[in-house]
Amino acid sequence: MSDTATMSPPEVTSPPESPEAAVTTTAAMPPTMPRRRELIFGTVFVTAGVAMGLLTLIGNYLATRDAAGTAWLADNQIALTQPNMQMLTMVMSVVTMQWAVWSISRDDRYHTYLALGVTMLLGIAFVNQSTFLFKEAGIAITQPEGPLFYAVTIGHLAMVVAGLIFLLLMAFRTLGGQYSSRQPDGIGAAAVFWYAGVALYAVIWFAVYIQK
Amino acid sequence: MTLTDTRSTSDNPAATAGPPVPTALERVMGTGEHQAIGRTFILSSLLLMAVSAGALAVGGLTALGSSGPLDVSDPLWSSALVAMVLIGALPLLLGLAICLVPMQVGSEAIAFPRAAALSLWAWLISAAIFIISVPLDGGVGGAKLEAARLGMLSMGAMMIALSLGAACVATTVLSHRPVGMSLSKVPFFSWSMLVAAPIWILTFGSTVAHVFLGQISQANAAGLALRYSAGVSWFLRAPAVYMLAIPVLGICCDLVAQACGRRFARYGTVQALIAMYGVFSFGAWSQTAGGRENILWIAFVALAAVPVLGLLGLVADTLRHQKPVVTPGLIGVLFAFLLLLGGLLSGVLEALNTTGSSTLFSFEAAGLGWAQGVFLLSAAFVGGLAALSAWSRVVLRASAPNAIAGASMTAGLIGGGLLGTVFLIQGITGFGLNRSFFNVWVAAAASLLALGALLGLMMALVTSRGNSAEPAESGSAGLTLEWAATELSAQDHAVLLRTIVASPYPLLDFRSTGEAVEEDN
Repeated sequence: MSDTATMSPPEVTSPPESPEAAVTTTAAMPPTMPRRRELIFGTVFVTAGVAMGLLTLIGNYLATRDAAGTAWLADNQIALTQPNMQMLTMVMSVVTMQWAVWSISRDDRYHTYLALGVTMLLGIAFVNQSTFLFKEAGIAITQPEGPLFYAVTIGHLAMVVAGLIFLLLMAFRTLGGQYSSRQPDGIGAAAVFWYAGVALYAVIWFAVYIQK
Repeated sequence: MTLTDTRSTSDNPAATAGPPVPTALERVMGTGEHQAIGRTFILSSLLLMAVSAGALAVGGLTALGSSGPLDVSDPLWSSALVAMVLIGALPLLLGLAICLVPMQVGSEAIAFPRAAALSLWAWLISAAIFIISVPLDGGVGGAKLEAARLGMLSMGAMMIALSLGAACVATTVLSHRPVGMSLSKVPFFSWSMLVAAPIWILTFGSTVAHVFLGQISQANAAGLALRYSAGVSWFLRAPAVYMLAIPVLGICCDLVAQACGRRFARYGTVQALIAMYGVFSFGAWSQTAGGRENILWIAFVALAAVPVLGLLGLVADTLRHQKPVVTPGLIGVLFAFLLLLGGLLSGVLEALNTTGSSTLFSFEAAGLGWAQGVFLLSAAFVGGLAALSAWSRVVLRASAPNAIAGASMTAGLIGGGLLGTVFLIQGITGFGLNRSFFNVWVAAAASLLALGALLGLMMALVTSRGNSAEPAESGSAGLTLEWAATELSAQDHAVLLRTIVASPYPLLDFRSTGEAVEEDN
């Protein structure tokens, strides 16, 4: 992956309209566009695919629950305390993630590391809370609700774990000096993926836990 | 005596030999070079397309000779259709895009080359597993559990791999453009891939969720078959199946402009029409049975014809103003348009059937659904062959022999056209054709499709080995940046690289100015 994004665009003249005068030249260097946002664009595409998969699972969950009626999760108790705390954790992680983006764009490396660390800590807390919730809910994979419930929640949990790995990698690359205010794409890309994970959890929190 | 000499470097064979030279296999497997990845995609997809279509033909004939006629409920049909789309047509277009798009936007490399290579190898391995699973009574809808699981998993893996490749291509268009090439000046094929990639990614994201659900629910073979028919097969029907042909629109416009040697008059309108077609081909929202029985679905399916007809008008307008240099690629892509129109007609008929069911029309929706899938995959396949032939000097580094190129496209066109037509007739007549006749027809058409793929493979192999006897087409000079390396001298190419792109046709600009202005040092 090229990291030419630190190169500023060369001075160029405005392109002419007529084909006869269409070829103009630069004054200094080959006029290649700096490859800014390559990682962000790539991450957006991947995130879109992942989000679409999770939304499809949630849609299936809702349709099946609607068809099952009152029998859905009748034998299980899901207290709202845990999902609410998880939602709060994710909302806090949005703030810390944005803190990291803000810090790297101002070359404040100390705060970047701190913000990334706190975001990862909140992410790990979310994973821990999820496992606790699974134990508390006691939903078996063999019961009719099991496959869909775990497809949705474990699918999202996998996304959060992937986000944590992404954050860790970007933190190491920042530590290695690859990201700064001139090239903040890695942190921005991790943030895009993380925000999508939070937004999807908001949908799951409302559709699966609040509405039950 | 004290020994002060150090050991000569020539004593150490490793030091003189330099780094070990990778073998051909190591070079192919370890490369991140977009042209090599694209070519491997193209060659593999043509070979596997022949296998897929051939299996359908053999299956039809075998059933006819032994246990009676094969009907469309047989898993072999579904598996063959999935294979022809995910193993044949789509990877062919993706391979072309991986090869061509970076050059069209003036980039030396594709975005995330390692991810593109991962996409290739993940797809190839998954495709091989899928093909193996089919004769084991797996594939999609098979009766043997282990093989059916293998088939579903490999299908999901293929979708993920193709989405990854599409993401690399779209990112290249977005972030690797040279100065001056705004998105409104991106060549049509690159633009169409930028439109297609998100649609493919979103559609496959949704279908992969069903594959995941099938695995986590530990369904039996019947459950997996139901999961496929209820949750996955929608991507082979309108409007989602329209997405297969998005790149064909871009290929068609680029080839027409090149054949005429002139600009498209309304560049922005063409881009808007391609984007509009892309929007109407997004069909993940209509995956349930209820989703296909409402006004929105009817609107999507019918309105997709509007941008296609608009593009056809603009293409005809360009051809009217300038007599084109006729090449097999140009003819092939125009006939691919015809197949696309066949698919749209099937969709419109199904929409009419939905609006006037049991009153005005009584068509068989399943037959029309099959017709949509077959027409669209054939359009994508023939469009891909046409692009391979037309861009052979760029992709394969030599001119493709016209005879083989023409034969491959003719076989693909007739095979795909016949296969789509038989399902269209079945849909209109409510599966009224004699089953034996129907199976013979299908077997013959599938054989022709397989022949088209084999001839396409032969064209690619013969051309890439440099054995083409025919010279390059005169007069069909390239207009966009991918032709710079093959059509300009090294000096002009170097000058072109220092110029600012001022229109969608930099090479045409370059030629029309006569001499480019050298940069001042």
